[in-house]
Amino acid sequence: MVATLEMPETTSPTIVNQPEQVPKAEIERAMIEIEQLDFAYGAHQVLHGVNLNIPARAVTAFIGPSGCGKTTLLRCLNRMNDLIDSARITQGAIRIEGVDINAPGVDVVDLRRRVGMVFQKSNPFPKSIYDNVAYGLRIAGITKRSLIDEAVEKSLRSAALWEEVKDRLHVSGYGLSGGQQQRLCIARALAVEPEIVLMDEPCSALDPIATAKVEELIRQLKEQYTIVIVTHNMQQAGRCSDHTAFFYLGRLIEFDQTAKIFSNPAQRQTEEYITGRFG
Amino acid sequence: MIAIAFKSRRTRRTERVIFWLLRLATYFILACATYIFLDIGIKGSRTVFTSTPPFINLPFLTEPPQTLYVFDYDGKKMTLSDRQFREWKSAHAGVDVEATSVAYSAGGIWPCIVGTALLVIGSMALALGIGISSAIYLSEYSRNGRWIRLVRIAILNLAGVPSIVFGLFGFGLFVIFFGWNVSLIAGWFTLGLMVLPAIITASEESLRAVPQGLREGSLALGASKWQTIRKNVLPYALPGILTSSILGIARVAGETAPIMFTAAYAMKDEMPWQVAKFTDFFFQGVMALPYHIYVVSSKIPQNEYTERVQYGSAFVFLFLVMLIALTSIVLRERSRSRLSW
Amino acid sequence: MEGIADSRILIPPRTKSRRAQAVVEQGIKAFFGGNALVAVIVLALITIFLFREGFGFFGQNLSNLRLYRQAGLEYVDIIRGVASRHEALSRNLSEIRLSEVRAAQKRNAPLEEINAALAPFDRFASAFSDTADNLHGIVSDLTEQASELKEQLFARAELLAQRSQLERSGAATAAEKIVVPEIDRAAALTRLREGSANFESVSAEMTAKLYNLLAEAPPLPDPAGQKAFEQWKTRTREYLAGLPAASEKLRTWSPDAPIPWYRSISSFLFGREWVTASFWQDWYGIIPLLVGSILVSIVALFFAVPLGIASAIYVSEIASAHEKRLIKPYIEFISAIPSVVLGFFGIAVVGQAVRAASQSSLLKWISFFPISERLNIFTAGCLLGFMAVPTIFTLAEDALRNVPRGFKEASYALGANRLQTIGRVLVPASLSGIVSAVLLGLGRVIGETMVVLLCAGNRIAIPDFTQGLGAVFQPVHTMTGIIAQEMGEVVRGSTHYRALFMVGLVLFTITLAINYLAQKLVARYRMSIG
Ligand SMILES: Nc1ncnc2c1ncn2[C@@H]1O[C@H](COP(=O)(O)OP(=O)(O)OP(=O)(O)O)[C@@H](O)[C@H]1O
Ligand SMILES: [Mg+2]
Repeated sequence: MVATLEMPETTSPTIVNQPEQVPKAEIERAMIEIEQLDFAYGAHQVLHGVNLNIPARAVTAFIGPSGCGKTTLLRCLNRMNDLIDSARITQGAIRIEGVDINAPGVDVVDLRRRVGMVFQKSNPFPKSIYDNVAYGLRIAGITKRSLIDEAVEKSLRSAALWEEVKDRLHVSGYGLSGGQQQRLCIARALAVEPEIVLMDEPCSALDPIATAKVEELIRQLKEQYTIVIVTHNMQQAGRCSDHTAFFYLGRLIEFDQTAKIFSNPAQRQTEEYITGRFG
Repeated sequence: MIAIAFKSRRTRRTERVIFWLLRLATYFILACATYIFLDIGIKGSRTVFTSTPPFINLPFLTEPPQTLYVFDYDGKKMTLSDRQFREWKSAHAGVDVEATSVAYSAGGIWPCIVGTALLVIGSMALALGIGISSAIYLSEYSRNGRWIRLVRIAILNLAGVPSIVFGLFGFGLFVIFFGWNVSLIAGWFTLGLMVLPAIITASEESLRAVPQGLREGSLALGASKWQTIRKNVLPYALPGILTSSILGIARVAGETAPIMFTAAYAMKDEMPWQVAKFTDFFFQGVMALPYHIYVVSSKIPQNEYTERVQYGSAFVFLFLVMLIALTSIVLRERSRSRLSW
Repeated sequence: MEGIADSRILIPPRTKSRRAQAVVEQGIKAFFGGNALVAVIVLALITIFLFREGFGFFGQNLSNLRLYRQAGLEYVDIIRGVASRHEALSRNLSEIRLSEVRAAQKRNAPLEEINAALAPFDRFASAFSDTADNLHGIVSDLTEQASELKEQLFARAELLAQRSQLERSGAATAAEKIVVPEIDRAAALTRLREGSANFESVSAEMTAKLYNLLAEAPPLPDPAGQKAFEQWKTRTREYLAGLPAASEKLRTWSPDAPIPWYRSISSFLFGREWVTASFWQDWYGIIPLLVGSILVSIVALFFAVPLGIASAIYVSEIASAHEKRLIKPYIEFISAIPSVVLGFFGIAVVGQAVRAASQSSLLKWISFFPISERLNIFTAGCLLGFMAVPTIFTLAEDALRNVPRGFKEASYALGANRLQTIGRVLVPASLSGIVSAVLLGLGRVIGETMVVLLCAGNRIAIPDFTQGLGAVFQPVHTMTGIIAQEMGEVVRGSTHYRALFMVGLVLFTITLAINYLAQKLVARYRMSIG
């Protein structure tokens, strides 16, 4: 990926090497292709043979019991796991728009700018709200004040935070409530205009009103972005995702249209999880 | 039941006795320290302070050390510094007096203060530069490998090397091998390398205290590694690094052995800035407070006139070093109480 | 929520000079990595430079030892040994007299009476010391001859070295100009041995005289004195019996017997004398310095270990939160006191106080009190102990505090009181941490310079252990002290200079070993706590 990624005109919806027990979803255009992915922290293997095609300009939800590897997989998508010493992909590949992101000449920095992330635990910088949102832009070398101002406002509005903070843009992001901090992180991720947004339980600390706002936001964003969201909230997955992947013990059990998964899952485990009989 | 009650009363008594012994030991240490501070403080303040305004013995702080001349004249005991003695002689031409001279016991310690300040500034700049860089590498870039283990072992062991061995090393490498002679720059390197392990350890600790989330958040926004470190890690670690480095200043300022044969002169007439050309500044030896204290307390014959300068220098030195250490400890306690993450 | 679907033009793709960017990032990383290597490099350089400057010592010391034999100094020292043992016996006699006088004074006898009673003994003593007059005469003659020969040999060796250096650098003509005088060493040595030919007759004469003297030795009034006198007589007989052996040694002594290379190392590591800048013969034996360092450290740890551990236990387990907040910073504060200030305090206050205490009548019952030197092992040890307390305290307190709460709670749950919990659970659980704290304290003490330089008395001698604990009140010199004191005054490249570097190397090795041990213990402690 030394050259810039170019949007392919069409991507064939074929899913390579899909094991039979995992039903495939009908996908018009795969943005991210995950192929036979094995992943391990040291000797502890966390992901086993994950095959998944994530569609472009749609919301894909990852669900599954705690510790099943959702965060791990999500962090593979922007190579955040590079930061962990022992972590490595032992087999398989991930392609975004056809380019293997783990290939040797890939520019990780560029990848991460294009694949934004909102973390499970909100992590605003100890800077002002304004600086938090502007951080990514400044990093990218944008210095024009008016551009930054505009982008900050736009991102904060997108994250449904603008009204609450517009009078105190220059106080520390730490002074916000937990839910506001999480939305600040969303705004921060949006400010650099990624193509893909990865959200790791973005609503886990939010009240129902804020959650509704974020969900509304997600629905809007999918017009333009490819979104992957991890959630423990079944209703949320049902409400705002187009596709849902169910993971269990590091394996992808089922992946399909959300409506299908929630109404008529193909796998017994999926059904049991969704109906709350385990997990 | 009764037996147990009886036994527990006895054990409670031994418990109390032993606790008192432990308390006594602790307070004994504190008492010793207090006694040292008081002794040097009281006797030293006789030199450093005066009973008349401005209450501070300015000549002691602003003059170079001089030889003291003691003689009887006109039934009076005269104690004059070198300069005063020469003036007195020219004023009393023809008068022949038999004066005993006591080295270093008149004048002040100004060049020593300046020299120590110069040594501290240079060596701390050096140690902070190398130390923070190493710490950044160790905490941000390195992965656990054989080389990194080696580096860590080296740091740990370097921390235990006696300061006199650093002195020998500085003498062998900088003074002789590099031919820098006894000079400020040789002292900087010797002292700087001596505190390096402490600075690295403290800096790494501060860097590691910055939550991982900040790094990840920054990287996820497309910042490069160095951008992340510069904008989102270092600024938050720097206060901690500097706070714990202040203790390093106290150590650098307080050491005598490493500068004895690398940087310190017992006596030098010019001030450090009185050099012929700019580069000479780095290649000149300086007077230093700790070395001066060593010289006046062991290299000159002791008599009633030497105490003034001994206690005076010890007081000023102790006061400065303790002030630095106190700053560090207070800053650290304060930062501990307002942990931000 | 308008404007989300705006076109994305804000951030240009990161294409321009991407490779340059990557190179810069790599460069920064390499720069930091290079700095991290400084620690390794410095450690290596320390080792290298101590070796570089110190290693030549063995060669130089070997030629120093060879010269000692070749110039006949060794030969003279055999005779000198006989003479000095005689002197020692003489000294013993006056010690016996002193105790005799003390015993008499206890009986309140007047001085004249005592002197009168001891008059025969005094005559005996002076007769004894006169018997060695001839012996001393021989020694002083030979000393002069041998030193002269040594001077000549030394000067010749210097010239030879100078010449070979010139030759090596190509200045052959200049090299030839250097005239190396021939020295008739054999003749000089023959003269030396001739001069000592009468050693045998002198010693035979002395033996005869002494046997006569011993036979008519006067009795002593005090029984204890008499007993000491009898012991002295046995020693004198042993001395006389040993004289033929000395003669034998002189006869078999050869100036050309080879001195093996390892003598240079063993005479450094096991040599009991450190004599420098002497007109006669320099000795570089590290033992007196090592013993001095060790004794000072023992005294320091004797004070610092109990105090440091006791205060660590007190602060971590017993003190109220309020006390804790005061005591901990205060003790850390102590660690910042510059060692030279402590050393000065030792000279100005502690030394005086120790001597004054030893002179007080309360402590008269202690046999080696009052002491004569105010600066001694004890004075330095006290101050060093005070210095080591913060080190031991901080690390031991850390170890105690890191014992998992569960251990403590389990102990309390079984009905143990606080003391039992401390003694049976906390201290054992943190023992390796505490031991490593003590080791690091020892490392600090052994490597400390200024306090020992100022307060240990700086007498290069192994303390006289026959006094028992009194040995602790004698002045010594230490490894750190000797470097600090002599380094500034030696000639660069001389044997003495290199010997100091060797002492530094030994010190470095010792502290590394201590440090290594401490780290091993800490690692084990971490493991056992989990
Ligand atoms: N840094 C790490 N080092 C080692 N193991 C890890 C690390 N992070 C996660 N794991 C392990 O990997 C497995 C998957 O973790 P992951 O965080 O992906 O789960 P998750 O599905 O996101 O769970 P949750 O819903 O609780 O967030 C877990 O067993 C976890 O213990
Ligand atoms: Mg997770």
